[in-house]
Amino acid sequence: MTQSLTRADAEALLFREARLLDERRFDEWLAMFTDDCVYWVPTNDGDPNSEPSLIYDDRGRMEERVYRLVETRAYSQRPRSRTQHNISNVEVLDELVDGAVDVRSNLLLVELREGDPAQAGLGNQRLLAARCQYLLVNPPDWRIKRKKLNLIDADLAHHNLSFIL
Amino acid sequence: MIDPAQLVIDQDKDFRVHTSAYLDPDIFDLEMDRIYGQTWVYVGNESELPEPGSFRTSAIGTQPVLLTRGDDGTINVLFNRCRHRGSVVCREEHGHATHFQCPYHGWVYRTNGALMRIAQPDGYPDDFDKEAFGLVHVPRMATYRGLIFASLSACGESLEDRLHDVKKYVDMWADKSPVGRITLTQGMHRYSYPGNWKLQMDNGVDGYHGNYVHESFVKVTERAGEISYNEFTQLRKTGYVRGLSHGDGLIDRPYGGMAGQFDYGDPSLAAYHEQLRAAYGPERAQVLQGQQNLFVFPNLFLFESHVRVIRPVDIRETVVEMHPTMLDGVSDELNTARLRTHERFFGPAGFGAPDDVEMFVNVQSGLQARGVDWLLMSRGLHRETRSEDGEFVGASTDEAPQRSAYREWLRLMTAAVPSPPVSVG
Repeated sequence: MTQSLTRADAEALLFREARLLDERRFDEWLAMFTDDCVYWVPTNDGDPNSEPSLIYDDRGRMEERVYRLVETRAYSQRPRSRTQHNISNVEVLDELVDGAVDVRSNLLLVELREGDPAQAGLGNQRLLAARCQYLLVNPPDWRIKRKKLNLIDADLAHHNLSFIL
Repeated sequence: MIDPAQLVIDQDKDFRVHTSAYLDPDIFDLEMDRIYGQTWVYVGNESELPEPGSFRTSAIGTQPVLLTRGDDGTINVLFNRCRHRGSVVCREEHGHATHFQCPYHGWVYRTNGALMRIAQPDGYPDDFDKEAFGLVHVPRMATYRGLIFASLSACGESLEDRLHDVKKYVDMWADKSPVGRITLTQGMHRYSYPGNWKLQMDNGVDGYHGNYVHESFVKVTERAGEISYNEFTQLRKTGYVRGLSHGDGLIDRPYGGMAGQFDYGDPSLAAYHEQLRAAYGPERAQVLQGQQNLFVFPNLFLFESHVRVIRPVDIRETVVEMHPTMLDGVSDELNTARLRTHERFFGPAGFGAPDDVEMFVNVQSGLQARGVDWLLMSRGLHRETRSEDGEFVGASTDEAPQRSAYREWLRLMTAAVPSPPVSVG
């Protein structure tokens, strides 16, 4: 069975997700996901039920993540991060996965903490790179059923990943 | 260089640590010699070396070591340094090997360190003693409850003696498994921060900061209907801190209240409670449902969800490893639930730990102001008691564990200069 998502459509969706995150429009970002979604950033190739993940969120935990950023005093985001999500290498694969369209892309995320740049941990621009897999459902109003980011440095030391990747 | 004896004030009503302990590169070098170079240091876990040929690289202070499980099943802790011209012989972080070949000139070592083969041996005389040129073992190593410790000093108390006062808390940690065995996951969370290693040491057994630093986490749990902020702050007034000998310490919450941690007392865990009762009897099973954050000086924390290892890199650079644990003998569902709880709070993208790390960089930044010399660690001195076992016992927000750590730090930093380490070749 062929699917009806073009590469241009996939890019538009991913670019929109990136813009919503960079503009901190988190509720609209959440609305891009299904209720049974999974947002997964592993540390290795293991089974997420017995190997640690940086992020292994169901919809409920994603909402907690947004709530913490928007409604509480989370010091690791005070001052907050500026982000720029750069999307490239978008491919829509032929094979469906679990009835969903399989979209691959690269993410180059540039991030910087605001605040007094003379202080430790602030003002340093850093890059995070990831290979992404999205599973999309519900044409033509495509929604994200699964977002998986394989960070190139997934198993290495990170200082503060408390913004949304 | 500053005399380390001047860096800790330890009096009846006053306890302070000098800023230089956190900022002076000479102090860091001295710590690598006198603390990491002298004491028992955690280097790895038996569960990371499951079979003969298993290996992982690690460090004692800043010295690279290679842990292996030899063919005979014994554990070796070797300096990761070729005896020829000093290259590391292992660049992978973990794996399985039958031997280690130095990439530079091809010398080959067995997993127990023995020199197996010199490439083109005609360059050495017939009587060259290969046996004297194996990978050097660290002077001492020993294990307890799967925890592998090593010492760069050939002399001093045994691990057993060193752990004497903290042993019962290590046992409480390991006995959360009904078969008494903890297995580390293969993966880990790792975080780094541009600050001194002792900022992590100070924080892990700090029971005072939770209401403030982890306010956002409590709000998350409040929103989820798990606990209200007020209930949480009341619960956190219970429990104790304990300062032990050898720099060790813990936050002890027999009835829960540790932010973000798995609730072993939850009534829905009836099957697990039954396992504990069957294994240890009802009294001990009750004790094992409490929560403790345990610090084993200088670099090891045992938390209920993970083993945490401080890796000092430089005076103002530190890496911390968090190894989530699996309790052997319990259901997969329980271990998975523990892992999900761990991920919600800990790790660089968790809802709790990154706020702790933010405090480390906050302190590292504030310490640059030299108009103030001292960090105050006197909280609870006026109400501290001494237990029969010699523990300094305080209310859960008091700083008894920090005082224990710095008393041991001071003792080691000012000890008579030890004789130079026995060096080999």
